[in-house]
Amino acid sequence: MAQIELDGVGLTFRVQQASRNTLKDFFIGQLFRGNKNPPMEVKALQDLTLRIGKGDRLGIVGHNGAGKSTLLRVLAGIYQPTAGRIKVGGRVSSLFDIALGFEMDGTGWENIAYRSYLQGETPRSVKGKKDAIAEFSELGDFLNMPVRYYSAGMQMRLAFSIATAIDPEILLVDEILSVGDMAFQNKARARMMEMMSRAHLMVMVSHDLKSLAKMCNYAIWLDHGRMLMWGDCDEVIAAYTASVMGPPVKDTASTQAAA
Amino acid sequence: MVAYIKAIWGCRYFWLSLVKMDLRSRYRGSLLGIGWSLLHPIAMTTIICIAFGALFEAPIEKFAPYLMAGLTFWSFISTVTVGGCQSFFNGESYIRQHPAPMAIYPLRTMLGGAFHYSLGLMLVIALAGVMRGYENAWPLFTLIPTLMLLLLFGWSLAILFAVINVRFRDTNHLTEIGLQIMFYLTPVMYYPDLLLKRGVGTFLYFNPMVPFLELLRKPICDCEVPDPTTYLIAAAIVLVSSTAAVVALRSQERQVIFHL
Repeated sequence: MAQIELDGVGLTFRVQQASRNTLKDFFIGQLFRGNKNPPMEVKALQDLTLRIGKGDRLGIVGHNGAGKSTLLRVLAGIYQPTAGRIKVGGRVSSLFDIALGFEMDGTGWENIAYRSYLQGETPRSVKGKKDAIAEFSELGDFLNMPVRYYSAGMQMRLAFSIATAIDPEILLVDEILSVGDMAFQNKARARMMEMMSRAHLMVMVSHDLKSLAKMCNYAIWLDHGRMLMWGDCDEVIAAYTASVMGPPVKDTASTQAAA
Repeated sequence: MVAYIKAIWGCRYFWLSLVKMDLRSRYRGSLLGIGWSLLHPIAMTTIICIAFGALFEAPIEKFAPYLMAGLTFWSFISTVTVGGCQSFFNGESYIRQHPAPMAIYPLRTMLGGAFHYSLGLMLVIALAGVMRGYENAWPLFTLIPTLMLLLLFGWSLAILFAVINVRFRDTNHLTEIGLQIMFYLTPVMYYPDLLLKRGVGTFLYFNPMVPFLELLRKPICDCEVPDPTTYLIAAAIVLVSSTAAVVALRSQERQVIFHL
């Protein structure tokens, strides 16, 4: 059931150079040529074809801005590709931007509830999980307080505890999270590994090549939105490492900077 | 379309809890809490009654409920239009994490407004009862289908304004001004006769707010069942606005995130 198929997928962002697009630009800019604010095209992903199925663990490596996180968001259904076809079979759980999306005025408990709802839980299933989440976060009585008063570390702890309390079919991970103080970090890592091993299919972005090699069987190497290499995880990582360590490779895909 | 509605229903716990949270945080730490929602229309009605009541030469026990019915309705419209503009921005962090149907974010805005409106409406009904009494209370039940129409109308407006504002940020400001103008063009605080008598009443027929106001006021202010044609007109307006909302969402839903 769990499978991902990409067929020539591409994604082009049209970004306004000045961050605004006003009515004036829209009407006047189209009447008279020489719009001062033309949209700039950023080719974030180009011509990706890929097929993975149940049991696969796919790692994605590449420089900053190579399109790794963008690809994850395409897989999650948040970005719709502008070219090609994508087919994702199975329920997708994603672990990125988890620090976002707290309702600051809500208490820890309230935030547990509705973030779980966003992940597709029902009040009944949340009831069973709530205490486990609370216990894992070790926040105790702080959960009765509005999240506004939490420290950044506490917020991350709570976010992590909620986000990882799932039974993933397809799991998308943007970096293995390192959360909290030393003691919590070990615990969090163990939980993350355990969850990733339970997933039917996983796609993971990481700069931590060691963990990547340990967790994944396949890997792709993205560069400026193109797939430079795809195949066995160890081979791809070896090639990527060589390119970073050795003399800089010639930039074959000379497209616009996908910053 | 059916699948889309199912998806909205599927994440009902999510948007319902957001609505609940919005209401709670609105009153957090305030002394009167929900009482503010009641006090606001009462204060406005009192002030306008004192200031303009004499001008309009209306008996106060009739004018006060009439006015309050208009004011509470208008604040709902203002929530779904001006507030609707912000829907996607308020939900930005969720939109970036999860591909939930976009319509739930305007829905959240609308339901928050609807909660306040329902409080206001109860107040209006009570006020009319206290000041004037109901010779016939049965027509009040016609408010149920009216409210259904109004909710749909509000939701579609919120969707439209949210979608347009995400593309053109000027919309928010234009809406504020436009709404102000509409307020005076709509018989919110005066009787439609005022315009009809002067022969400038024709544009009332082109004002989409007027049928809704009539549907709301007929049973409360006149103890009468509204004219079926008014229902038909209101339903037609809802049909147009929801069709526009569906079309707008269809074409823009997956583009929204690129404009946040």
